[in-house]
Amino acid sequence: MQNKDNKDKAAGKPLRSSVAAINRARVSSFFSNYGVIVFTVLLIIVATIINGSTFFNWNNLFNILRSNATIGIIAFGMAFVIISGNIDLSVSSQLVAVSAVTLTFVDLVTPVLGPVLSSAAAVIVGIGMSCALSGLVGVLVTKGRVPSFIVTLGMQYIYRSLCREFMSGGGFTTSTDAYLKISNHSLFGVIPMPIIYFALMFLLYFYISKYTKLGRHIYAVGSNEKATRLSGINTDTIRIISFVLLGFAVGVASITESSRMGSINSTSSGVGYELNAIAMAVVGGIAMEGGKGRIVGVLFGILTLGIINNMLNLIGVSPQIVDAIRGVIIVLAVLLQRKEKDR
Amino acid sequence: MAEYALQMTDIVKSYSGVTVLSNVNFSVRQGEIHALLGENGAGKTTLMNILGGVTPMDSGNIVLFGKEVRLHSPADSQAEGVAFIHQELNVVNDLMVYENMFLGYELRNRAGMLDVREMCRQTEEVFARMNVKINPRAMMSTLETSYKQIVEIAKSLLRNAKLIIMDEPTTSLTQKEIENVFSIMRGLTQEHGVTVIFISHKLTEVVDFCDSYTVLRNGEKVAEGSITQPDGTKISQADLARMMVGKDVLGVNVYKEHEIGEVILEVRDLEVDTRVKGVSFDLHRGEILGFTGLLGDGKEEVVRAIFGDLRKSSGTVRLKGKALNLKHPAQGKKQGIGFLPSNRKENAIIKDLSVQENITIVTLEKFCSGPTLLPSRERKAAEMYREKLGIKVANLKNKITSLSGGNQQKVVLSKWINANSDVMILSNPTQGVDVGAKNEIYSLIMELAQQGMGIIVTSGEPQEILRLCDRVIVMYHGEVRGELSREEISEENLMILSTGGLLH
Repeated sequence: MQNKDNKDKAAGKPLRSSVAAINRARVSSFFSNYGVIVFTVLLIIVATIINGSTFFNWNNLFNILRSNATIGIIAFGMAFVIISGNIDLSVSSQLVAVSAVTLTFVDLVTPVLGPVLSSAAAVIVGIGMSCALSGLVGVLVTKGRVPSFIVTLGMQYIYRSLCREFMSGGGFTTSTDAYLKISNHSLFGVIPMPIIYFALMFLLYFYISKYTKLGRHIYAVGSNEKATRLSGINTDTIRIISFVLLGFAVGVASITESSRMGSINSTSSGVGYELNAIAMAVVGGIAMEGGKGRIVGVLFGILTLGIINNMLNLIGVSPQIVDAIRGVIIVLAVLLQRKEKDR
Repeated sequence: MAEYALQMTDIVKSYSGVTVLSNVNFSVRQGEIHALLGENGAGKTTLMNILGGVTPMDSGNIVLFGKEVRLHSPADSQAEGVAFIHQELNVVNDLMVYENMFLGYELRNRAGMLDVREMCRQTEEVFARMNVKINPRAMMSTLETSYKQIVEIAKSLLRNAKLIIMDEPTTSLTQKEIENVFSIMRGLTQEHGVTVIFISHKLTEVVDFCDSYTVLRNGEKVAEGSITQPDGTKISQADLARMMVGKDVLGVNVYKEHEIGEVILEVRDLEVDTRVKGVSFDLHRGEILGFTGLLGDGKEEVVRAIFGDLRKSSGTVRLKGKALNLKHPAQGKKQGIGFLPSNRKENAIIKDLSVQENITIVTLEKFCSGPTLLPSRERKAAEMYREKLGIKVANLKNKITSLSGGNQQKVVLSKWINANSDVMILSNPTQGVDVGAKNEIYSLIMELAQQGMGIIVTSGEPQEILRLCDRVIVMYHGEVRGELSREEISEENLMILSTGGLLH
């Protein structure tokens, strides 16, 4: 009797479980591919129903994009680092450090080069510095074999502390108009520049992720480093470049942020950006274990979190409770995408 | 006549229609060291898993120490006095010896705290019975491998094991360590009546240390007897090898004549730390050169060093006359070496990428125009390989993990074929691949050889070497034990050389 049961089990199990697996795979691949897009569309509809034209008007929509542009730009870079199997917790302090250097640089060289040229030079210096810092993190992680969580945790303290020391706990401001203009004017008088930078960064990173050798290699490294290495690919280099891509994004974000505000504060600027950026990437379907997720998803992750914030503001929900709701959304989003792991 | 410690009768086991064990009878006398022999897939592990309570049998009878038993779980089996020591050591290196001994069975004193003194005392007691001296408070990580093995044995004695199953316990041990472990086992059997079942591929050890043997082949028992024969001499390794292999296993002929050209790869005195010792050989264009030997005897290290995955400690590798000093697989690829690693899931499959993306990953630059990757070009190449290699997949955009083992292997093969290497290294090319796909992969390898590629195949399967290779090098303990031409290759010869014997 018992033997017969066993045989039945042996014969029936693979069949049943494979059917279930296919169904599960269908559901999960739908969610991991389109879930966040569907969710964003639903959110827009709900927000429009609740708030009517207070939500759905160009001003408000631009407002959502502009206020999320800086962190959003970082989120695109963060996505690459997470896909490659790492994490970066230092981006917020790095943004302050890069902004501080850039602002100082502008005011310093304006008397020599004039405002326009020195602003342009500052952009290059800022982005270059940011790439170099992230590259250093990449080297420590790959060649030094220190987990990225640890390296970037350390970097977060180092940048922030040095900035506080040099800025005596306060901030820097610039009075160079040309620099302020980088973020404070609108294309054709309509679209605020931060949104343009955000859009350009999205297009660039989308292109890299989907249509370059580098992008494919980044996915491969995050998915199975050993197999990628044995495919004759230098996995350390790929991981370092992933960090540099994040560094580039942080550089662009620093310029966007510091020129929008005209200042940077060593204590209050950028606080929490790293976790916000990670949340956006994760809500957008980037898996923390690496190898999975798409840049388009990240775009919608950014929109989701941005719209929720805006919506709650408009409804007049107490700002104290907003973070709790955001927390629920983040966990919920990942729960829905998680199913695939059961296979 | 000595009493039997174990009698397994008419054991039947099948997995989804495939018979793994058919009416196997297996008896072990009390107090002996009994070798259980057979090729990979002969059913040894399944039989022992049944005894260990890991796998349920379909039908059959098990009598342990004169009592019929039903084993539904490892705990049942343990309660009957059976201990199963697996190939991979089950020790926690960051704990002390006594902590390992009592892991999960910690003793407490009246205050509810760990009774360290009592645990150490009992540990010492067991060691005394085994005649070994190990400090119970030594850190596990400081012990040599053989002592770790001994701690495992001691652990089973602590739980009152009367029958110890050891699954290839010696693969990671040196010769001296092996002798050490065996002399302790011998003491246990003679002085304390413990019975040992010993699973091994190393026939030298079997002949030297065991009392009797049972041979399984394709799920059936084909022979049993004493190591020491009636005339007082010991059974020969060659006889054992013949029993294990059988005569009737040659399948379809896959070998095709192909032209062997000039030397393309020249390896001299290759050393990789202590794992590869002074290996020299030549590989010709269009030649299929086999590398065989037991697990851990250095064949994998040789090819990984050639590809650049391991750093060689000394020696020279020349490809088309040019000396190579590779530090990374990326350099190996660049020089024109392809490498299909063993353990597909771990080393070859990129699980989150699609079938198509796995095919193109090695040679992405071929599918780029400027910096831009052209998916249409990728698709065309992938389609070509799907057709040519008969990769069964509904949609090339499906994940590679959705394919069967054989089809996955064809995908990883095609990614390297597309690289057009001069030398192709195939490590266990048909590992976890069913028989049909196996032959397809063999003919593919033949085709590559006919095109003039130099091919190295490493394999632990004698059949594979026999059917495929023009020449084979047999490794033993990191050294070349012998070299056989196609005419000389036989399973018997391979078995003798790889177990440390010599051909006359």
